Amino acid sequence: MTREKIIELVNSIFIEQFELSQEELTPDKKIFEDLGLDSLDIVDLITGLQRKFKIPLRQNEQIRQIRTLDDIYTLFEKLALENPDIAEKIIN
Amino acid sequence: MIQLKRISLTFFIYLSMLFWTVLYCSVAIWVYLVALFCPKRISGQIMRYVILYYGQTMIHIAIRPFIVAKYEDLAGGDTRAGIYIFNHRSASDPFLMSIFGISAIQLVNGWPMRLPFFGYFARSCEYIDATKIDYESAKAHITSLLKRGVSVMAFPEGTRSDGRVMNHFHSGIFKLAMDTGALIYPCAIVGNEYLPDRKFRFPQGGKIMVRRLKAIENDEIMQCPTAFVLKNKIKDIIQQETAKMDKLIDHENQI
Repeated sequence: MTREKIIELVNSIFIEQFELSQEELTPDKKIFEDLGLDSLDIVDLITGLQRKFKIPLRQNEQIRQIRTLDDIYTLFEKLALENPDIAEKIIN
Repeated sequence: MIQLKRISLTFFIYLSMLFWTVLYCSVAIWVYLVALFCPKRISGQIMRYVILYYGQTMIHIAIRPFIVAKYEDLAGGDTRAGIYIFNHRSASDPFLMSIFGISAIQLVNGWPMRLPFFGYFARSCEYIDATKIDYESAKAHITSLLKRGVSVMAFPEGTRSDGRVMNHFHSGIFKLAMDTGALIYPCAIVGNEYLPDRKFRFPQGGKIMVRRLKAIENDEIMQCPTAFVLKNKIKDIIQQETAKMDKLIDHENQI
């Protein structure tokens, strides 16, 4: 899966679940300070990411380290490499 | 000279508050003693009224010579219990909750529950410590309060902004509103950003305005996909109202 596709999918969660605009979603944006999410919103974000990418994330330690949108894109690039069937699952 | 005026004003406001607190407590102690012998829920209700009238004594009598607080209800006198959401500019905000004249509790950020005198009363009347309670317990507690006609008041910014900007809202109370089926009253407070200031001084007297806006019904709340969307919706409503009220209060102060 390409980085562009990952960015598109991650951003779609922010647009659908958090009603943020595409313009706000630049990679350098800090999730807490700039976008205004808090720990409870992160639960909704993780749920959305799990649903979109069909990967269990609750036990994932790296998801706790994310600070910016770029961190999420990079994490999912890594997860996509580790789980080559992600793209197929999403399409199906 | 200006400095002396400020110090005097701060001194007289606190002196007046102390005087009225002592006077109020000398009466309220008898009510408190009666409450001690009542079942917990009844004593909680009595204590909420003790706090309510204390706040009203402070606002309408103690600080009145120096600061005037004006309340406007744009919710058409709606008497239903709900969750009141406020912007938070100043330490005087918790006192201003009494201006609504209703039985309510506050969702607080830990430290008010630990205050020596006030903390005891906050605990007695079922205030919620957001730093200690888990989500499910908070949900059960708020559901029970709303069923009994007790409203819940919250400052989702968590800490004072000390100016006319609004900080990000925390989502907790909005998720609770979605899960408990509560309605939300957005409320706006202006004029008190320096009453008192960050160091609890009163640099000037003035006018404070408080407005309760039309309730956001639960079906409208449930149209929001997440608590994040709901909190930003309510924040926008309050922000628009405070902007209007700031202009109004600036205009009145110029006159």
